[in-house]
Amino acid sequence: MDLDTVIRECLAGSQGAWETLVNTFAKRIFNMAYQFSGSRQEAEDRTQEVFLKLHGALPKYDFGKNFTAWLLTLAKNHLIDDYRRTKWEKTQRDDFDDRVLAQPAHDGPETSLVEKETKAFVWEGLNRLSADMRMVILLRDLQGKSYEEVAEILSLPLGTVKSRVNRARIQLAQVLRECRGVTS
Amino acid sequence: MTCERIEELLSAYLEGELGAAERAEADAHLAACPECAALVGLMKETTEAMAGFPEVEPSPVLLSSLYAIPAAKSEKRKLFRPAFDWLTRPALQPVYAAFTVLLIALSFVLFHPEGRGIRKQINVKFHRGVGTVEKLYAEAGSIKGEIGTLTGSVVKSFNSLGLLRGDEKKQ
Repeated sequence: MDLDTVIRECLAGSQGAWETLVNTFAKRIFNMAYQFSGSRQEAEDRTQEVFLKLHGALPKYDFGKNFTAWLLTLAKNHLIDDYRRTKWEKTQRDDFDDRVLAQPAHDGPETSLVEKETKAFVWEGLNRLSADMRMVILLRDLQGKSYEEVAEILSLPLGTVKSRVNRARIQLAQVLRECRGVTS
Repeated sequence: MTCERIEELLSAYLEGELGAAERAEADAHLAACPECAALVGLMKETTEAMAGFPEVEPSPVLLSSLYAIPAAKSEKRKLFRPAFDWLTRPALQPVYAAFTVLLIALSFVLFHPEGRGIRKQINVKFHRGVGTVEKLYAEAGSIKGEIGTLTGSVVKSFNSLGLLRGDEKKQ
């Protein structure tokens, strides 16, 4: 069943079609929320709110448009708005996930330790980026979207996206340098 | 090429998007500038680290709460349905029409180009009205006093004439 048919069936009130839609996009939205907020609890709450919004906004969806980009734009707007409303409460990220740290590295135990440490520093460093910068780097480097897709989701010119990605990477590299300076 | 220019081009450099001439210039700068070369290394590590973040699975509890959204919404709709039906019943149509007319009239007063003058006039008339009511109230108070005095003197007159002392005479 293609996505447009699933959406049409959702609009007709089919529970099965709604569950298909949830199964297709829940993981992507949850990961986006988790990487943005850095907290599992937060991510679960935000994912639920995004799907609630999606259910309300589905009748307004224009079938000529790219549904995935439309949904990610909706999620991005919700995450950034919520962050701006409550940012003072969100100064801490969860500790970097143990399951991620436990992943086997490619080049032996020593490299693995450095990689783990780097990942943990970068994870922490994401919190130091502004909401816009964090979103742009999240879509490009964590979710692996192309610059064109990021520009479509964020409704920004391609040049602006490229320059933001570059600045966000520089900021994260500087965070990494700082963290290493502190620990060494 | 300056350090600032290299910073602007770092992502394009790492992603191999620079033209041959610009890439050669960047390579030359990086070979001569340890600061920029270190930044390139850190940036490469950063992007590789982010690419290595795996996707996390949403919990079954979250999934079941997402599945339940349409049912929860229709429950909520059922809860508010009586209030909605009451508000949209045909009997209230004249009320809404009157309210709309009132709002339109109010908007003329509030947003009219000479609205300030109109509001001033309304203000003056309102205050005049209040003044008149106050005057009437004061006058009513003085009349009440006069009536009281008059009643007192009538009673005194009756007393002096002895008309109200018929019982004493009988004794």
